[in-house]
Amino acid sequence: MASNKKYWKSVEELKENSSIVDTLRQNEFVEEIPTDVFLGDKENLEASSTTRRDFLKYVGFTTAAASLAACEGPVVKSIPYVIKPDDIIPGVAEYYATTMADGFDLANVLVKVREGRPIKIEPNKEANGTTNARVQASVLSLYDSLRLKSPKANGTDISWADADLQIISKLNEVKESGLPIAVLTGTCASPSTKKLINNLGETFGTVNHVVYDAVSESAALDAFEAIYGSRALPDYHLEKAEVIVSIGADFLGDWQGGGFDSGYAKGRVPNQGKMSHHIQIESNMTLSGANADKRLMVKPSEQNLALIKLYQAVVKGISTREASPLNDAIQKAATKIKKAGSKAVVITGIQDKNAQLLALAINNAINSEVIDVVVTKNVRKGNDADVAQLITDMNAGKIGAVIINSSNPVYSLPNSTEFVEGLKKVKLSVAFTMQDNETANAVQYALATPHYLESWGDVVIKKGQYSLMQPTIKPLFNTRQFQDALLTWTGSTATYYDFLKETWNTEVLNGTSWNQALHDGVFTSEVVGEVSALEVDVDAAGSELAKIKGSNFELALYTKVGLGDGQMANNPWLQEFPDPITRTSWDNYLTISKADAETIGVVNYNVANGALNGSLVELTVNGVSETLPVFIQPGQAKGSLGLALGYGRTQGLKDEMKTGKNGYQFYKNFNNFQADVTLKVVEGEHEFACVQLQNTLMGRGDIIKEATLEEYNTIDSKEWNKVPMVSLDHNEVEATTVDLWESFDRSMGHHFNLSIDLNACTGCGACVIACHAENNVPVVGKDEIRRSRDMHWLRIDRYYSHEEDFAGDVETKENGTGVLGYKNTMSDLEDPSENPSVAFQPVMCQHCNHAPCETVCPVAATSHGRQGQNQMAYNRCVGTRYCANNCPYKVRRFNWFEYPENDNFDYNMNDDLGKMVLNPDVTVRSRGVMEKCSMCIQMTQATILKAKKEGRPVNTNEFETACSNACSTNAMVFGDINHKEDTVTSLTEDKRAYHLLEHIGTKPNVVYHVKVRNTQEA
Amino acid sequence: MSSHYEAPIRRPLIDGNKSYHDITVEVAAPVEGKANKLWWTAFTIALLAFLWGVGSIIYTIGTGIGVWGLNKTVGWAWDITNFVWWVGIGHAGTLISAVLLLFRQKWRMGINRSAEAMTIFSVVQAGLFPVIHMGRVWNAHFVLPIPNQFGTLWTNFNSPLLWDVFAISTYLSVSLVFWWTGLLPDFAMLRDRAVRPFQKKIYSLLSFGWSGRAKDWQRFEEVSLVLAGLATPLVLSVHTIVSFDFATSVIPGWHTTIFPPYFVAGAVFSGFAMVNTLLIIMRKVSNLEAYITKQHIELMNIVIMITGSIVGCAYITELFIAWYSGVEYEQYAFLNRATGPYWWAYLLMMSCNVLSPQFMWFKRLRSSIMFSFFISIVVNIGMWFERFVIIVTSLHRDYLPSSWTMFSPTFVDIGIYVGTIGFFFVLFLLYARTFPVIAQAEVKSILKSSGEQFKKLRDGNHE
Repeated sequence: MASNKKYWKSVEELKENSSIVDTLRQNEFVEEIPTDVFLGDKENLEASSTTRRDFLKYVGFTTAAASLAACEGPVVKSIPYVIKPDDIIPGVAEYYATTMADGFDLANVLVKVREGRPIKIEPNKEANGTTNARVQASVLSLYDSLRLKSPKANGTDISWADADLQIISKLNEVKESGLPIAVLTGTCASPSTKKLINNLGETFGTVNHVVYDAVSESAALDAFEAIYGSRALPDYHLEKAEVIVSIGADFLGDWQGGGFDSGYAKGRVPNQGKMSHHIQIESNMTLSGANADKRLMVKPSEQNLALIKLYQAVVKGISTREASPLNDAIQKAATKIKKAGSKAVVITGIQDKNAQLLALAINNAINSEVIDVVVTKNVRKGNDADVAQLITDMNAGKIGAVIINSSNPVYSLPNSTEFVEGLKKVKLSVAFTMQDNETANAVQYALATPHYLESWGDVVIKKGQYSLMQPTIKPLFNTRQFQDALLTWTGSTATYYDFLKETWNTEVLNGTSWNQALHDGVFTSEVVGEVSALEVDVDAAGSELAKIKGSNFELALYTKVGLGDGQMANNPWLQEFPDPITRTSWDNYLTISKADAETIGVVNYNVANGALNGSLVELTVNGVSETLPVFIQPGQAKGSLGLALGYGRTQGLKDEMKTGKNGYQFYKNFNNFQADVTLKVVEGEHEFACVQLQNTLMGRGDIIKEATLEEYNTIDSKEWNKVPMVSLDHNEVEATTVDLWESFDRSMGHHFNLSIDLNACTGCGACVIACHAENNVPVVGKDEIRRSRDMHWLRIDRYYSHEEDFAGDVETKENGTGVLGYKNTMSDLEDPSENPSVAFQPVMCQHCNHAPCETVCPVAATSHGRQGQNQMAYNRCVGTRYCANNCPYKVRRFNWFEYPENDNFDYNMNDDLGKMVLNPDVTVRSRGVMEKCSMCIQMTQATILKAKKEGRPVNTNEFETACSNACSTNAMVFGDINHKEDTVTSLTEDKRAYHLLEHIGTKPNVVYHVKVRNTQEA
Repeated sequence: MSSHYEAPIRRPLIDGNKSYHDITVEVAAPVEGKANKLWWTAFTIALLAFLWGVGSIIYTIGTGIGVWGLNKTVGWAWDITNFVWWVGIGHAGTLISAVLLLFRQKWRMGINRSAEAMTIFSVVQAGLFPVIHMGRVWNAHFVLPIPNQFGTLWTNFNSPLLWDVFAISTYLSVSLVFWWTGLLPDFAMLRDRAVRPFQKKIYSLLSFGWSGRAKDWQRFEEVSLVLAGLATPLVLSVHTIVSFDFATSVIPGWHTTIFPPYFVAGAVFSGFAMVNTLLIIMRKVSNLEAYITKQHIELMNIVIMITGSIVGCAYITELFIAWYSGVEYEQYAFLNRATGPYWWAYLLMMSCNVLSPQFMWFKRLRSSIMFSFFISIVVNIGMWFERFVIIVTSLHRDYLPSSWTMFSPTFVDIGIYVGTIGFFFVLFLLYARTFPVIAQAEVKSILKSSGEQFKKLRDGNHE
């Protein structure tokens, strides 16, 4: 505001035209400036108050001040919006519903977008979406610095226009030659894409669409087609199951596309005294086997016999009296199945059509309610025969052009050399790819495609469930979608978005709103219809199956929860993600039973700093050899070997990510079971990056409390959920009632608790990656993991029992009497059993109300929040590590080095692109500070602020953490225990609830639930 | 101290026919003379080790604590082991000068100066570790309760690590003052003898204008007594507080109420061993055998024997209490300590600390210079391993087996440790060449009562 006030300076101003006023107006400096003092004659200068010494002081001061002022931190440039987009408010996250479909993982997801950058993937719960570790990590692949950034022709950059011209002319040549065009894609569940591929055929003659899954479920598809007429996969509602018998199916892993864990977990939490009984017959130790109530180890070839016997016992009523543990278990399982009737289900992962037929026949015979053959799934569509035919045809010169989309056959085909040979014989080979991978380097045109977060698309994961894929960011590079390219080549000027919208409006939406469908991410239409089973000669299938011969050693190939089929191998989160079973990261390896390891003379041992090393063997399968490290795996069937696919990529990824060996070379005929295996011990040893070096629980039954269903139903909870007792004034009292500290009144405001149900937790590890993404947890690499310096804020401990089960361990421990007995017992307990009972336990900061870390920090950098969180003030931390030492749960993680912006840790935080995934709400920690789980305080605060802005109390169950949000089994439930309606409040009062290491008196805000096992046999 | 009556059975504390002048000359000799080859060799080695340590420290601070062998489970290892080891060594000086002063033990006079020097130098080494073990050394001032602009942000007075800061700094300052006070008359002696003006200037500065008047002496006596009174509780408190770092925690193997007395005994034990190590060499090299006599060494050996036995008792008690507690975590911690992967460290600790001092029951062994030297080294190895055993074997296998791992040092860990040994010897060797290494003023006070020739004279008169 300008002021109009006028100030009188002297009475002279009253006179008009006063010369004095005029002079003053002209002269800015009324008094003479004493320049003489500084610059006058020598005498004056010497007499002045400013001496030479003063002058030097001024010079010194100004120089110091100037140099200090120059010591500012580096300037980080940011570009402000000139015109702010309407829908972007800095600091406020936007969520978009979209769908991930990379051919291996298909999921309905919500994408959290901050300031235009997708930073996190969450399950779209309104669309019943669940996420696994890979889906959670997929956002980082968007910012992969080694993505293919522009189209290439024979290895050199080319413009899209040129590429189009050349490709179209070649396609016309092909058309003229009359040869068919082969379109090779991964599982394609997109109706609009299929339409476009058909259009391509109409324009350029015959198009042969070959669907290729790197990890095949072809046998199951074929079997289903044989019985039910359509080439699809049945769905399984495991929540309805009372008895689950799985023969070699890791349905909690990636079997038939995965996603069964949420239903499974529902049936595993004891409800009204009931929970499902799960029998697993398998060779490798899998997640499913680890969660089973009864687990049998058999070689892959014996699994066939087991299935046949089960079929005979259940369907034919024939029970052999053969005395073997396997037969015994099969008969018991059959009895259980018969008892449960339609509430039982049999599933199998044997990649053989006959085996799949048997399983379907059993389910059909018992009229299983669990299997759903009407609402089928489209998550795997690959056809092995077609792929094999294609390769033959290519080599025979019968194919004119090959167009590959979202697939890396040169890497993942067992006979990839033949494929590459074939590629040379076709006129035109094009690969649409996100990475400069093996296939991109083998074709003529490698066309850069956008990530699914930059793309449009539609997916039908399940019959009747139409999901939409929408871009959440402008394409980062010069990329184009496969579908857009097809449109251009077929002469259309429409964009794929137009085409997609058009297709949906005419074929899917049925008059409902496109915008609504896009908002929801999914459009569901009613599926009606009955499916009847066709008559198939199942007995013949059985006898055919029985002919399969085993061998001394048999190889069972599997995929890891982390890397899956290997397309995200350049994703450091997934590389560093410890396998839930072996707890080993950055590797694949040959798993072997302890007995076999002793026989052939291979070892695993710990070096001086604890890191695990293992011997090397040369594995030869059907004439293909590879040197592999061996990992001695408890629960591995004798005579069987396990090897993970998805490793051993060599192109399009950073050196650090070139881990493991390619397992696909052994994946002959797309069969995960390979006989004719020979092993040869070779010189040398391998260094593993294993985050858990002690595999057993040492009989410490209070860490993971367990009860049988029978105990749970019949005995008072005080018996199986014992509260530790201490002596107070010579009286035995519960440890939780004794305290050194004065309690703080926590009944006001929020009080956060996290509940973890050990019955529902399958150990899948989606939470680990979700935590990684939400909290900017650094990746440290293989060497640092070997030094036991993993940074995961949330880990899932996996324990094996030494005896048959954990109760047995406790008993063994108590039986070791005397000094020597005690010593021997304890050292025995360090070794896991051959077929151990397995327990998973997610452990993060327990947010103790009486935290041992808080008292010992000399600078009070870690202190307790008003809402129950144990907080870390990174700026205050000086890094004494005393808190970590004094943490009984060992959840604190120290920044040993500067992880971001450090060439020694060349992962996502070291390049500008990878840094875009960072959550701006969470500090990136510098070297020398301690960090740990914050209970996602940035999320709880955001929830509180949102409610406050909307002028309402926080809703019931509105609070969430990254881990509880990612948990598809509801094992992790987060909330406010001062809010009675929150689910977590009742969970903390459940009779299964206990705190970890209760006797120390830390009063944690994380509560676990006793693991109940349904061990009753028949 | 004025002359006093001494029982005839006491053996002389000053050997040979010494006059007051002899004492002056012999104490001043190393300062006034030239260093021999041996000194230069020792100094060079120490300096090289020191420089290696400096390099390792710079590397650590420049790169991160990750260059050490620590991990998520074992957050402290060599750093705090070295810290406690050096603090422990620093215990003997104050015990000798303060506690023995209060108990009027005249034999302390021959050794107290060097013992105190050793104390100060080793506390300097010790003080280094809590600083450099911090992840962000540049913020080390956060641990000091200094006023700041962050409002109520203050240090956490609950933290034993903060108590350490106060304990160590108090101990260092009191020891330094005590040491210097004792040095005043001796510096004045050097000043008075100095012929070169520079030397004279330096020593007159160091002697704070000591004039030798009766008033000076009176105040000297008073201050010594007051400081001895102040320092005596420190002897007990410093290592008690260091032991609180562990005793107040919740980790099995650390959470032990026996720690304060056990640590103090261990500290005195290792401190005396170190005094023995240093003085056995020094009395030879600097020709001070007359003042640091066999009897001194024997007496120190007796202290070593007693404190070693106390420490042994503490080890056994720990094991007993672990069993008696009935707590499985506690029991396992001690089983693992003795028989786990670090059994060799436990065995070393047991044999060096409990077994080796028992030889001192034999007079022939404890009065053997060579044997005493050997045992003094063995004891300090043992005491280093004691701290290593306590810290590492308790941490590496604590509550949740999933976090169990091992620790192995890197060359940087070793470099820093060796560097502090080098630094210590650099300081001590410089000290030996520039300071009066015997409290000659005090020794002179007992020449007439405890000197050999006076005893002879006296005994002759009686006969």
